[in-house]
Amino acid sequence: MRREFLPGRKEPEVPSNTFSYFVREAIRRIWVSKRTSFVAISMIAISLLIVGVFLLVAENLGRAAREWQGKSRVIVYLETDATPQQQQAIDRFLASKPQFAKRHLVSREEALTRFRSWFAHLSEVVGQLDENPFPPSYEIDVDPRQSQSRLFLADITALKAMSGVDQVQYDWEWLVRLRRVIQVINIAGLVAGGILAIAAAFTIANVIRLTMMLYREEIEIMRLVGATERIIRGPFLIEGIVQGTIGGLLSIVLLYATYEAARRSLAPSSSLLWGFLFAGFLPWQKIAALVAGGMLAGWFGSWLSVRERGEE
Amino acid sequence: MIHFYHVTKRFDRYSTALHDVTFHIDKGEFVFLTGPSGAGKSTLLKLILRQINATEGQIVVNGRNLNAMKKSHLPYFRREIGMVFQDFKLIERMTVFENLSFILTVLNVPPKEHKKKAYQALRTVNLHHKLNAYPPHLSGGEQQRVAIARALINDPLVLIADEPTGNLDPDLSHEIVQIFAEANLRGSTVLLTTHDRELIRSSGRRCITLEHGRIADEKARTLERPHVREGLFGLG
Repeated sequence: MRREFLPGRKEPEVPSNTFSYFVREAIRRIWVSKRTSFVAISMIAISLLIVGVFLLVAENLGRAAREWQGKSRVIVYLETDATPQQQQAIDRFLASKPQFAKRHLVSREEALTRFRSWFAHLSEVVGQLDENPFPPSYEIDVDPRQSQSRLFLADITALKAMSGVDQVQYDWEWLVRLRRVIQVINIAGLVAGGILAIAAAFTIANVIRLTMMLYREEIEIMRLVGATERIIRGPFLIEGIVQGTIGGLLSIVLLYATYEAARRSLAPSSSLLWGFLFAGFLPWQKIAALVAGGMLAGWFGSWLSVRERGEE
Repeated sequence: MIHFYHVTKRFDRYSTALHDVTFHIDKGEFVFLTGPSGAGKSTLLKLILRQINATEGQIVVNGRNLNAMKKSHLPYFRREIGMVFQDFKLIERMTVFENLSFILTVLNVPPKEHKKKAYQALRTVNLHHKLNAYPPHLSGGEQQRVAIARALINDPLVLIADEPTGNLDPDLSHEIVQIFAEANLRGSTVLLTTHDRELIRSSGRRCITLEHGRIADEKARTLERPHVREGLFGLG
């Protein structure tokens, strides 16, 4: 049937059967320009890997912070030479405050036993000492919701001032600091990754530009037979998106491999130092965000190069 | 169907390809365009396809003033024109079928119909057995016929061919002209450029001769006619 163009009628810019053509062409072009595509994909993968490392560290620190906050604990270290009267006075003070109800007295002997079990390789050193160096202490589990109230802080100040009390340690102060550190790590990761992702997008833009140069005769033919700019540019845009997606997926694979390798080599030897960093891998939402970041960088790169090339 | 009104094309101060060219080709006509090399034939065809713009004058094709036509309408306009280029302009990395299928993709023809339509178009030029061949593996004459099949696949309103019989033997030339004559019978307006005077004479068709960018001789030269004037002010 003869097709007549009517100026008033708006024809669809992208025919419905062209999407599969875009994808086929994009994959074929990536395959044809394997080396340049590899450079672009690697750039995206490395950028996202760096973002991923920051996200993973922040994620596991966040997990640890949540866990520690969930069981907020006050430790009251008594002086090693505290008298029984002083100890009773402290115990009475703690008993009078409902927020200190969940307390456990750790004797000097129990502290020594714990140290020996946790740090078995150091137990010999402790054995050489004349006397037990560990002071008695109270371990008090407190409700995290109360732990930052003024009344609670006033009680802690009063406790610190009591005779026989050497030190009062409570962990939410450094938990607050830890959360700030997590925020800084997240921001640093996003900034560093963002800069690298932009660099990667420009690499993709150059790769697409090169491909367009390679196909310039073909593009001219396409224009002469009535292809719209969208049909001509579509495969190039999809090419960038595919490169970005492959880069994103590759970064996840690399991140997981790095995580597993580090966990196996570091975690068992010094679990107390590193263990919290290997609590788990990224949640699926962040994995999806990394892949989406790759797609976005790829799309942006290809968009940069196709938008500037129209018919003169 | 194709109307040129005092068209001049100047590339620079010293090079003018067409001077004040006026002619009209009606719907359903079959016209030859001839003249020596450098006379401006290819420039004229480029103007019709709006590969280039006229420096002066107006061109109306299928009721649309090309000077006023929006850039976004250009692809849709070109889809009504079947063009056979002198250098064929086939995509070398694509098979014969893929070269034809691409046009059908552009025209939003469902993929399942591509094979049938491509086969039919290639049958017209007697090349249906070369569906899976690549253009560089075909002879010049075969590439020419693939280019013609590509131009015919959409039953275009206007069929234009730049030297389609150049470098072909007389028998093959007549065969090619016959293909265009059949397209003309199906309703396409045909404009062919050729150097072959004998071919023009034997066909008995109307002929426009260009010399140094001017119309030197035109059998049944048409003057400006009122019924085509409205096209000048039509939508682009």
